[in-house]
Amino acid sequence: MSTVEAVITSIQGLSASSGDLYALHDVLKGAVDSLRTDSELQLSTLDQLDPSKHSLGYLYLLDVLTYGPVSKEKVLLIARFINACDAVQIRLASEKFVSLCKRFKDKVLELRDPLLGVAPLLAAVRKVQVSTKRLTALHPDCLQLCLLAKCYKAGFSVLSDDILEVDQPREFYLYCYYGGMICIGLKRFQKALELLYNVVTAPMHIVNAIALEAYKKYILVTLIHSGQFSISLPKCASTTAKSSFKTWCTPYIEVGMRYNDGKISELEAVVVANSSDFEKDNNLGLVKQAVASLYKRNILRLTQKYLTLSLQDIANMVQLANAKEAEMRVLQMIQDGQIHALINQKDGMVRFLEDPEQYKTSEMIEIMDSVIQRTIGLSKNLIAMDESLSCDPLYLGKVGRERQRYDFGEDFDTVPQKFSM
Amino acid sequence: MDLSPVTDALAVKSFDKIADICDTLMLQVAAEGISFHDDWPYAIHLLGYFYLDDCDSARFLWKTIPTSVKESKPEVAAAWRIGQKLWTRDYAGVYEAIRGFDWSQDAKDMVAAFSDVYTKRMFQLLLSAYSTITIRYLALFLGMTEDDATTYVVEKGWTVDAASQMVTVKKQAINREPKVDSSKLQRLTEYVFHLEH
Repeated sequence: MSTVEAVITSIQGLSASSGDLYALHDVLKGAVDSLRTDSELQLSTLDQLDPSKHSLGYLYLLDVLTYGPVSKEKVLLIARFINACDAVQIRLASEKFVSLCKRFKDKVLELRDPLLGVAPLLAAVRKVQVSTKRLTALHPDCLQLCLLAKCYKAGFSVLSDDILEVDQPREFYLYCYYGGMICIGLKRFQKALELLYNVVTAPMHIVNAIALEAYKKYILVTLIHSGQFSISLPKCASTTAKSSFKTWCTPYIEVGMRYNDGKISELEAVVVANSSDFEKDNNLGLVKQAVASLYKRNILRLTQKYLTLSLQDIANMVQLANAKEAEMRVLQMIQDGQIHALINQKDGMVRFLEDPEQYKTSEMIEIMDSVIQRTIGLSKNLIAMDESLSCDPLYLGKVGRERQRYDFGEDFDTVPQKFSM
Repeated sequence: MDLSPVTDALAVKSFDKIADICDTLMLQVAAEGISFHDDWPYAIHLLGYFYLDDCDSARFLWKTIPTSVKESKPEVAAAWRIGQKLWTRDYAGVYEAIRGFDWSQDAKDMVAAFSDVYTKRMFQLLLSAYSTITIRYLALFLGMTEDDATTYVVEKGWTVDAASQMVTVKKQAINREPKVDSSKLQRLTEYVFHLEH
């Protein structure tokens, strides 16, 4: 019996119980090298297997078969396998599954058909993920395909779970960066800010390109979402980020500073002067949104100062062409729920109102409820992390050593630290 | 390519589900490697987004449509003209884009449904944003003739001053009941329990 036949027989015989699967896994690991050089192994060999029942074996054979240049036929075969495979089985060899999926993604990009890969990778993320709190190596790839295929809604569905466990920092950086871009596309600026914030404040020893690009977008999204720019990075950012981000992002810092001054014409001048930089970074659209948001911020400021104001006055104060344009801006802001106001076309006046929400309806109670529950969940997670950290031998070992160094005890003549060579 | 989920949803007029159904189906079809662009119901897909007021997704979909389809199918381009007006908040332009095309039988119902929803949305917007508005503007926002528009709002209790051509908006008292049932009490107990532990 040839190697291929023997392997097929083992796969068919050992795919049912978990004990069998472990045995099968050993067989496959042993056979991989000889399979790779075996010319008998063809695509047609796979016809003898059922991808949903013999997922582990199918994965090994497919992995061998898709090395090197890959035809569209093979790409589709991988897509079908990802869709059909059994999650429990492929998790036994999750590294192999991940590398197969990554190869699949690369091939899909080569074919210039990112849409082809979106559904398979969405499925792959769910299948390889042991818990929804855990970031997988496939999350970034999945989001990247969603961005390229412009399936922002599909990408957003991946972002709905709170990620608490991460293996590789790079995966987390990319996940947050791509995730931030998805949210920007869907105008979910608060969520985008959250994700980009994670990258900007992540611990790092040397500046990396992902964090830098994230910081540029972070500046712009801060302007759009909160209407002001702060030159200093968030407190919890690493010293590396604090010291070197700014030198790489001068045009963006400039935009932020002019934005704070509140003068549209000056801001626009800065944008025009640096537009080639923004274009190079693919951020020009976002910069323009930031500029447009300055009108809104300026109108918002007026609502804090005045109770009623004529449309003409608004136009003059926020540098709009005429009263009609001011009316349209105010109307848009009311439509988006950013301000509460009543336009009186008879007198050409606007009356600014308080937020009519009285926080006593059952819908509002539902919203508050869900926020409280989320917070409770968060604090539980924090306690669990704290507990697991305080039992971690690595951590205890380090703390123990440090304590020894300072705890000389009463018997010793304590020598100041800097003299103890 | 099996488009029956879309046609079924259209047949029972579940217009709010069209966008999701189309999204899922498109990902499926694409993953099977079928070249679907020429037969895809792009116009319906776009209208599905408009119906849900999801202009962002509509814009991204438009960007993925091959130029050949955009050129060969006037209905797709016509649907996107509505999207453009929504995107630039050209409130009156939306109605012009709706009326400016002879929609196919499949799209006709959906366009009419969207038009109704859009008028309702505009009415709500005017209700929350204006205290007085001219009859001319009212007609533009609601996409009706001036006479129809005044009749429409008078039914809702607004008052018309023919001399000044002004309409005074009557705010609706929204009756939301502050209901608290026993399940809320249960949850409140859980919160207190959490805080104390």
